[in-house]
Amino acid sequence: MDKQLLDLLVCPVTKAPLEWHADRQELFCYASNLAYPVRDGIPVMLESEARSLTEDERAKRPKQR
Amino acid sequence: MSEKDQASLSDHAAKQSQEGTTHFGYQQVAVEDKVRKVADVFHSVAGKYDLMNDLMSGGIHRLWKRYTINRSSVRRGHKVLDIAGGTGDLTLKFSQLVGPTGKVVLADINDSMLNVGRDKLTNRGAVGNIEYVQANAEYLPFPDNTFDVITIAFGLRNVTDKDKALASMARVLKPGGRLLVLEFSKTTNPLMSKAYDTYSFTLLPLMGQLVAGDAESYRYLAESIRMHPDQETLKGMMENAGLVRVEYENLTSGIVALHTGIKP
Repeated sequence: MDKQLLDLLVCPVTKAPLEWHADRQELFCYASNLAYPVRDGIPVMLESEARSLTEDERAKRPKQR
Repeated sequence: MSEKDQASLSDHAAKQSQEGTTHFGYQQVAVEDKVRKVADVFHSVAGKYDLMNDLMSGGIHRLWKRYTINRSSVRRGHKVLDIAGGTGDLTLKFSQLVGPTGKVVLADINDSMLNVGRDKLTNRGAVGNIEYVQANAEYLPFPDNTFDVITIAFGLRNVTDKDKALASMARVLKPGGRLLVLEFSKTTNPLMSKAYDTYSFTLLPLMGQLVAGDAESYRYLAESIRMHPDQETLKGMMENAGLVRVEYENLTSGIVALHTGIKP
């Protein structure tokens, strides 16, 4: 995932910043608790295509800096 | 805004919200179904999209797009968002204009169109300053005040909630940034209208059938053009979205109109 592209994107639902998870090829939003897939290098920023974060994933939310 | 415009606007709003339905061409469909139906149209036509555009318009769509680019005032270093950019005609040109210090984002709700667009642009050597994002124009996934220029060419017609989409575009524009909407509109010449109707409802689906193997999608195209708000209505909608200095120009006797507006 290109850093420049990541810096340009926010969650379409909450407008919150996203966190890139290379292992899952997903962008996490901890404000909406949604994970957006990146397919073939293209981020799919549609709520209808996102999955809900699991309890575990939500618990690992980074501390507010 | 005149009373006529007001009436026309509220009439349009009423059409949009009729019991959670909206128009898909001439059919009235549930709002959630329109997204899927439009998606089906573009999945079906993506591979033949460029060829069909050339055939249907006799190549004139290239002039309409070039005119849009000329009116965009895009400069080196600009950030440009090409919404419903599909197979990337505008993005390709913008990528050259903004140069290595600029950025063009090609956004489309349809992954088939995006993939065709990315392949085409990559083959033409346009890489480095273009990003591809699958997004809904009503919920743009970008921060406020991001782009210098936003274009939506032949895309607004297919958006379910146009007011929401225009507001979303206004949000992500920088103050002083410009929105350009290129879209089919209402012909200003009655003789032209008659010929255009015959062409649209007879020849267009036939060409669609012969070239893309899909008459239905091109019948939808003709119907959706007739259902799209006319020049003055769209101008009012852009003003309602918070844009100023909203103007339009009719191209080819109003078959197409280019609307522009500035974020104050």
